[in-house]
Amino acid sequence: MCSDVRSTKQLSDNTTDAYALEAQGLTKRYGDLVAVDDLTLQIKKGEIFGFLGPNGAGKTTSINMMVGLLSPTGGTVLINGQDRARVPKRSIGICPQELVLWEELTCVENLVVMGDMYDLPRAVTNERVGSLLASLALSDKAKTRVSQLSGGMKRRLNVALAVIHNPDIVVLDEPSAGLDPQSRLLLWDFVRSLKNKERKTIILTTHAMEEADALSDRIAIIDHGKLLQLDTPGNLKKTIGSGDIIEMQLADREKNEVVMADLKAVNGILEIQEINDASGTITIRALNAVSLLPEIIERVDATRTRVSDISIRENTLEDVFIYLTGRGLRE
Amino acid sequence: MTVKFLSLAIKALKQTIRDRRSLFFLLLFPIVFMIIFAFAFGSPSSLGTGTAPHEIAVINLDQGATVSTNNTTERINSGVNFTQLLENITYAQTDTHMFTLNNVSADQALAMLKSRSLDAVITIPENFSQAVVSLANASARAETTSDIGLRVINGSTAQLPVNTTLPKQSNVTAQVIVEGDTGSAAFGAAQGLIFNVLQQYQGQIQATAIRQVDATLAQNQSQSNASIGYISAAVQPLTGTRSLTLFDYQAPGLIVFALLMQVSSVAQDLTRESDRGTLGRLKLSNMRSFDLLFGTLLTWILIAIAQILLLLGVAVALGFSWAGGANSIGLAVLIGIIGGIASISLGLLLAAFTTNERQAAQLGVLIAVPVSFLTGAFFPLPNEILGTAFGTTFQVYDLLPWTQVADALRQVLIFGSGVGAVAVYVGFAIVLTAILFVVGVISYSRVRLRPE
Repeated sequence: MCSDVRSTKQLSDNTTDAYALEAQGLTKRYGDLVAVDDLTLQIKKGEIFGFLGPNGAGKTTSINMMVGLLSPTGGTVLINGQDRARVPKRSIGICPQELVLWEELTCVENLVVMGDMYDLPRAVTNERVGSLLASLALSDKAKTRVSQLSGGMKRRLNVALAVIHNPDIVVLDEPSAGLDPQSRLLLWDFVRSLKNKERKTIILTTHAMEEADALSDRIAIIDHGKLLQLDTPGNLKKTIGSGDIIEMQLADREKNEVVMADLKAVNGILEIQEINDASGTITIRALNAVSLLPEIIERVDATRTRVSDISIRENTLEDVFIYLTGRGLRE
Repeated sequence: MTVKFLSLAIKALKQTIRDRRSLFFLLLFPIVFMIIFAFAFGSPSSLGTGTAPHEIAVINLDQGATVSTNNTTERINSGVNFTQLLENITYAQTDTHMFTLNNVSADQALAMLKSRSLDAVITIPENFSQAVVSLANASARAETTSDIGLRVINGSTAQLPVNTTLPKQSNVTAQVIVEGDTGSAAFGAAQGLIFNVLQQYQGQIQATAIRQVDATLAQNQSQSNASIGYISAAVQPLTGTRSLTLFDYQAPGLIVFALLMQVSSVAQDLTRESDRGTLGRLKLSNMRSFDLLFGTLLTWILIAIAQILLLLGVAVALGFSWAGGANSIGLAVLIGIIGGIASISLGLLLAAFTTNERQAAQLGVLIAVPVSFLTGAFFPLPNEILGTAFGTTFQVYDLLPWTQVADALRQVLIFGSGVGAVAVYVGFAIVLTAILFVVGVISYSRVRLRPE
């Protein structure tokens, strides 16, 4: 009890107006399983903060504790410098990973119910409903029952419900999961407009690296409930150095080690690593990678195997994740 | 700004109305039952004439009589004797008693008759013993004088033996009333047996009187037969039940059955809310537990009102003997609301512990249907008396609020009773519902409305 009070006070003293949300030593245990392990981070006001990690990394559990849906086993959460329990509920809007909608109600009815739950005057609700449906390309479905909407439309409505009450902090948990490319781009535009036009603080959890990369100002990489790295997407990519990435699979995976040992001698290859998964992909980070391809293929052939698949791309956040954990994001 | 509980109530009402499966269970299902029961039990039937004991009550008003024999006087109460006979008599060649006598007051007996806890009520009049004495005397006189003609023919000097005095002639007559619902098959069977037993009793009285005379006069039993008009029996239909059928009993029960179906629907509705995550969304908002619970209550009360009115309309259309006017409908709706709240409370309790919608629906039906039988919604139940309070006899089933509601609905809808007549039922229904409501609300709030 005393230590809790002390830690909260200590955190408050260090708090500046710049932070929308601060988590200090946030922990969640289910028996022996530690879902979130001593998570400490600060989210700045007006930024898009990405939580990047594979499924089961502890992203949703962390978010649920931050917004009050889940009681933490340990640690504290401050919102706008205040204890979370004292902050008005309307300060936060959450879009859960699952579609949380009343299927028998229309789009408008869903939004109006939530507006009522946040005590919005009906005129304000009506105005917000119109504007949100327009922004998320749902105006022509305003009076359609949710059960008759497509998956993409439902997901967009799911986001609209999270912001009907105009919250300061918006939590989007895997908002684009299962969306077609067109809907995803529409959603990304909407998220950017929340930040740029409405000055919202956005917490985005995703296991889609391109989404985190495209939207986030800063990214926290989390795995097994632990914070591994926290920085801007650019800085994170820099942590693993410059150069492009060659991904290569051999016809005979048994030869991976021999080939990797041989390729280390190639001038221009900065780093070589085997992804610890079923694919057995070898990733090679190299400067001027295109020019190195003929030599790489020649050396592979010399080890009496052949390249079954090879590609070249720029450094991504997934490479950062692989660098930090030794495994891919989609495992 | 819209009041939150009202917004939630409207939301839930829209969801229910738009959900065909839910509407089927709440409205169509009980209506189908109503139609089936109306066809099956809408007319008096001859069923129920087996050898099971009939539940009856005897109201013995007999004041007794004084009998003088051989210079001795004796006080008798034939009403008690007749009651004992009813209690002890068994079906021929079996040990099964014809009747189970319920020791209740006249008012209690009438209430039990109305709720079909009793098949018949026998009222023995004040002058029953006097009528019995009249019958015995008449029989004795007839037997004493039966040989006079023969004695004259044989040249006897005296018409009657010395010291022979004829019993006093009195013409007291008494009528035993057998009261019951003439539309009930069970009453028909019980009444036939009671008449038969009364006839046997009169036969015994006559036989005893004749035996005593013959012993005194040392003569053989004659073929004389005194008039048996001293004691008669009459059927008195239960007030307002002259044309009642089993369906009339069942129709209010089917309304209670419909209200009990709410258990499943409420549990399903609330479990869906937590299962789909919408409850979590609501918990993140400014919604208070009160808003959700009161909103839920409001929605289902409105549905209960719709159920009561719709089912009553269907029942009347199918021949239900509805007594009472608009007032009885108003009172029935208020009573039904209590039953509805009891169902909502049980639904809350289930929703606290069921993990998914399907489980809630199945468990709800699994509870609602047997409880419907236990409340006597479909058929009268055997008496399992717990005790008596406030002038009313309480059965084990009365611990269920829906039993009280069903009994009160029958009183109001079949007999046109007012608030005063159903006050005890309603009072107990409110108390039992309040207990269930508190348990339901606490369980649901603790399990579902707190952060995980």
